[in-house]
Amino acid sequence: MAEEKFKMESRTFVLKHELPVSRVEKYWKGLEEGKIYGTTCKSCGAKFSPPQADCSYCYSSNMEWVEIGGEGEIECFTQLYSFPQGFDFAEKPYIIAVARFGDFKVMGWFEGEELPEVGQKVKAETKQDASGVWKVYFTPA
Amino acid sequence: MGNDRRVGIIGVGCSKFGIRDELTVQELAFEAVKEAIEDARITREDIELSVAGTAGTRSYELMPAVPINEYCGFAGKGPIRVEAACATGSAAVYTAYASVKAGIADIAIAIGFEKMNEVDTPTSLAVGGRSGSYLWEFHQYGTTFPGYYAMHASAHMARYGTTDKQLALVAVKNHRNAAKNPKAQFQKEISLEKAVSSRYVAYPLRLFDCSAITDGSSAAVIASEEKIKELGLKDKAVWVEGVGYSSDTANMPKRVDYAGLKATVEASRMAYEMAGIEDPVKDLDVVALHDCFTIAEIMAYEDLGFCRKGEGGKFIENGDSDFGGKIPVNTFGGLKAKGHPLGATGVAMFYEIVKQLRGEAKDLQVDLKTYKGLTHNIGGTGHFGWVFILGV
Ligand SMILES: [Zn+2]
Repeated sequence: MAEEKFKMESRTFVLKHELPVSRVEKYWKGLEEGKIYGTTCKSCGAKFSPPQADCSYCYSSNMEWVEIGGEGEIECFTQLYSFPQGFDFAEKPYIIAVARFGDFKVMGWFEGEELPEVGQKVKAETKQDASGVWKVYFTPA
Repeated sequence: MGNDRRVGIIGVGCSKFGIRDELTVQELAFEAVKEAIEDARITREDIELSVAGTAGTRSYELMPAVPINEYCGFAGKGPIRVEAACATGSAAVYTAYASVKAGIADIAIAIGFEKMNEVDTPTSLAVGGRSGSYLWEFHQYGTTFPGYYAMHASAHMARYGTTDKQLALVAVKNHRNAAKNPKAQFQKEISLEKAVSSRYVAYPLRLFDCSAITDGSSAAVIASEEKIKELGLKDKAVWVEGVGYSSDTANMPKRVDYAGLKATVEASRMAYEMAGIEDPVKDLDVVALHDCFTIAEIMAYEDLGFCRKGEGGKFIENGDSDFGGKIPVNTFGGLKAKGHPLGATGVAMFYEIVKQLRGEAKDLQVDLKTYKGLTHNIGGTGHFGWVFILGV
């Protein structure tokens, strides 16, 4: 063991941000109604998931909300064993996946008996996690 | 396009990487800056511009560029603070390089540094995870950087049959090299058995697939050809022959594919074109590439064009990236075993390649034939991509 070095502690510094999400309110309210929304640009047809209020391609702000649903297919996933600060509420390793639903891809937590597989078919639902945040969950289709 | 002014690296420095909890960020940066200035055989007064690169947040000093600049004796000469996540060091070198190339400064220093161990591991994981896309990913799903690379690994393994063992072989090679690097955090070899049986951090990535949480600093002195001649350092300079950069989406669902990094493909092709590289395997003697996780090294073999897409697993298995192989990669131990102090990493790649091209890499020296080397530095999972070609 190395000898103990002289150290001090900083003053506590709490960083908690207000999230300015009024232009994408429909997405966050949608989760509470079991719906997942993306946006489509009415000018050029570009599709965005997660949704955007402005189009990165043609610079239009004329967007349409589109509901994402049906059967999805997992494109990649992981199971996290080391949790970041803010996720200490997780009781066991959680699985994050990205799945494609037609023209849109969505991130979500996967819940199933076993680990998912790339290419596996899933359906999506929305729920609150143990910390009260609404989000997307995938289960085997 | 541009001018013909050649720009070279005349001095490099690198701190010992590891848990450096005896040092403030200023003292840590000083260690590399002093070595770089002495290596260049100049004095601090010769520096006209300093660029300070750090990803930041994990250190108590939130805006450390000025404190560091002052501590290293450069007050009044900059600083410019740059940030490009884990590719911050390359962005710092680029900023210094571009200033010299443009003729605004004749001699500049890029300083990369990171103190990552002043906060605990859950905080460090959160800083990383929140740096992808906070609102759409971390806030809801608790993403971390091991997790992001693990998602890429799951896609690569599913499509190409890349195995746990192939991933582990990257760690075994890089630890074997780091064992001979006095600057490395982990100067010890690991066995394949130990690597493939270590615990999962983010499935399918295990503990030994991941770089650790490292403190470190590195510095590079960059000068114009006229200045280099004036200083009598022509024989010592390593020239910047190619530069390439790119980036990709912050949001994972907005990526087209996960089995590779588009930013690597695009940045490398841009750098190859500028440097006249036709076949990187034949044209380069040595490579420092971004192996923050073992899967990142395997994807980089493919995306840099060392082998065909999907054959990265075979490339490590065949020893193609080892000493005596097709192209020695991460001879210094890589980010995996030398360490990955985010802001320092990209500059430290210049340190290692400059040492190789000068023939000063001691026990880790490669055979020099073309006298050209490559640095490949990624921020996030291809959120930023930088490639440089260096030559003498
Ligand atoms: Zn549009």
